[in-house]
Amino acid sequence: MAGSQPYTVACAGGLIKSSNSIDLLKTPGSARDLKNFEVSIEGGYRRINGYTKYKVGDVTPTQPTGASTTILGVFPYADGVICCAGTAIYFSIDGATWIDIGRASVSGSGDNYSTFTGRSTLTRTGQGQASFVIFEGATFDYGEVIISDGANKPYSFRMEGTGILTSRTFFSSEVTVTGTKGVKFLTVHDHHLIAAGVEDNLDSVYYSVYNDPDNFSGSGSGAVTISDQIVGIKSFRDELFIFCKNSIHKLVNINNSSTIAVVPVAENVGCLSGYSIQEIGGDLIFLAPDGLRTVAGTARIGDVELGTVSKAIQPLVTDIATQIDTFIISSMVIREKSQYRLFYTNTSFSNNVQRGIIGTLRPDGFQWSETRGIESTACNSGFDNNTIERYYHGDTDGYVHTHDSGFTFDGTKVLARYETPDYDYGDLGTLKTLHYLKVSCGTEGQVEPDVQVRFNYGDTNTAQPPTLFDLGVINPPSKFGDAVFNLNTFGGGENPLIRVPLLGSGHSNNFTFISEDTKAPYTINGLYVDYIPSGRR
Amino acid sequence: MATTYLDLTNEVLRELNEIPLTSANFTNAVGLQQFVKDAVNKSIFDIANAEPQLPFFSAGLSGSTDPFYGNVTVASVAGQRWYTLKSGSSSITTDYASVDWDDFYVTTINVSGESAPHVSKGLKFMTLADWKRYYRDAENADDADSQNYGEPQFVIKSPDSRKFGLSPIPDKVYNVHFYAFDKPTKLSAHGDTITLPEQYSNVITARTRYYVWQFKESPQQASFALDEYKKELRQMKSNLMNPTPKYMTDDRRYF
Repeated sequence: MAGSQPYTVACAGGLIKSSNSIDLLKTPGSARDLKNFEVSIEGGYRRINGYTKYKVGDVTPTQPTGASTTILGVFPYADGVICCAGTAIYFSIDGATWIDIGRASVSGSGDNYSTFTGRSTLTRTGQGQASFVIFEGATFDYGEVIISDGANKPYSFRMEGTGILTSRTFFSSEVTVTGTKGVKFLTVHDHHLIAAGVEDNLDSVYYSVYNDPDNFSGSGSGAVTISDQIVGIKSFRDELFIFCKNSIHKLVNINNSSTIAVVPVAENVGCLSGYSIQEIGGDLIFLAPDGLRTVAGTARIGDVELGTVSKAIQPLVTDIATQIDTFIISSMVIREKSQYRLFYTNTSFSNNVQRGIIGTLRPDGFQWSETRGIESTACNSGFDNNTIERYYHGDTDGYVHTHDSGFTFDGTKVLARYETPDYDYGDLGTLKTLHYLKVSCGTEGQVEPDVQVRFNYGDTNTAQPPTLFDLGVINPPSKFGDAVFNLNTFGGGENPLIRVPLLGSGHSNNFTFISEDTKAPYTINGLYVDYIPSGRR
Repeated sequence: MATTYLDLTNEVLRELNEIPLTSANFTNAVGLQQFVKDAVNKSIFDIANAEPQLPFFSAGLSGSTDPFYGNVTVASVAGQRWYTLKSGSSSITTDYASVDWDDFYVTTINVSGESAPHVSKGLKFMTLADWKRYYRDAENADDADSQNYGEPQFVIKSPDSRKFGLSPIPDKVYNVHFYAFDKPTKLSAHGDTITLPEQYSNVITARTRYYVWQFKESPQQASFALDEYKKELRQMKSNLMNPTPKYMTDDRRYF
């Protein structure tokens, strides 16, 4: 057709929920809906990976408790996973066999496997959402992990040795912070174990003896009291940030009894959940009542900048903040993707409506997307004994899952949806007839997404295409030297431009990429739209 | 199978890269789709206006009253000059679109009570002006006086185009045969069919595209569509109306 015009869009900017439709005309690369996509650090929007039940090797994964008991905490440790569920703490290196590592009266010099598993188990009554911290020792193989659950004394566990579990040595004990009080939050700061959220002392921060995380009564230990209830703690560089309900403080000079001090950071902004606090990109991010905020350290000593980084998804964050008590908040950082993931799970709803948000740190700040269908009652990321980053989450079905793994949500199709803003192609007054669309799409396997077109902001008085436009089967790239005979498909480009003939006309339109399948992830890099201006009526 | 309103509309929509309609949403079409629907009807009217005597507009089958090939028959009444062209038509909106005034035929054949030798001849068309000048006064005088009337020689057209008149005023019953063409009916439902043979449906679509391209403010495309329409219409007329050998005749035998 004559007189067609080009329009090119690079997918960038992430989910924007806080701009009106006219404002979004200025950011064509952003998304009005970005479910189960993530902003790729290389650019574009990538359909997220799925998750699979945690297992190593050809085994059948099991539930740690043997039943559908909600997972209260997960933590990558050594070459396995520690998880809290019911009234116990479990460890597994294969996902099939879980041992209860909550044991009483373990020898100070360590137990061998049979002795350790033969001891009586601890019953951690009322165990709540768990907090984990690793205390690296000078000679420890995997470090000492300390676990708090809000109802019981912190529990310390350490494992030494390699190979099969039966050849390893186990150390464990309960840590007394103050009497028999339970502790909710733990962190390690400048060689001290820090405990907060202690029963009946919600405004106090306790710190252990220097380099002795199990000792809260010796020389060098102590406690400070804040004028607000503590909801989270996090060590950041040489300061300990104390997140309270309505304020934020920092503890400085912990190793100098004469200069140790609590310095207020913010008196009007608090934290909604300590489980939202993560360190990413040289900063701390946390969920505040007005959004996700960062505590940015600056070069100037003592100068602290607080900033909201979630303005783009403010309506989502507002929903979380207003209903915070109905959600189980869990968060993690996926370092290789520069991602912060926060899940807000309402266990009274089914899995497929459970929600989360993903923030990818790009050079110009966080860019956001959503997850839908991942129920996370606890999640964590960390490095294993081979310094490989591992991600896990648990759910109400009682399984520990390898997060960000596989193509499906544990066998369930992944519904992914990327909706662009409406495009006016520079002039909202001109009618445009769409000719075709070229989609730059990188794939990691054979994929088959579809695209939907809606004209004039979905106006019901405009004829809308009744069906989705098929992008066809997109094969993964086949590169000479890399492609495998009888596995790869000849001709698959690295980032092929898929041409999709379109039809229909309107003054504006948007595109929605949809897939609901068990196929591989793919990345939408950008779009090229060929349209024909068709008058100004 | 006859081309339906939905077929035509969708053919144009597809040519324009627009979203086709379905039988389900046809009635409630909006925007451009409704415009195309309207334009299809306009196009059919344009064709009818350009050439109302195309065969598919015929009011009936020719020769239904053998051996006469007119498709309408009106029986005259002794002493009555004017007759409504379309029986039962209440106004010009429901009248025939066109009548072949050069092909009226009067006969007593098949008239009850008539026997050979019959009257059977063509009626010469006479303009109203000539009739008024040469015949009206005498025929009116006869009607008011002796009422002899006569055998019709001429057919005249009433000024409102709704009636034909016979001159002289008939002295008895005759059957008047002539050829008439209906107005096209506006298409409405998705299954309504056009009267054109399918091979000529592109005349309609070309004209429709002409309107739609105007709507889309593309004069160049509209011009192309208009040229195509004119060419297709010309070919259709040539095929349907002038397929026979042409020759010249001297019809002064009527005088």
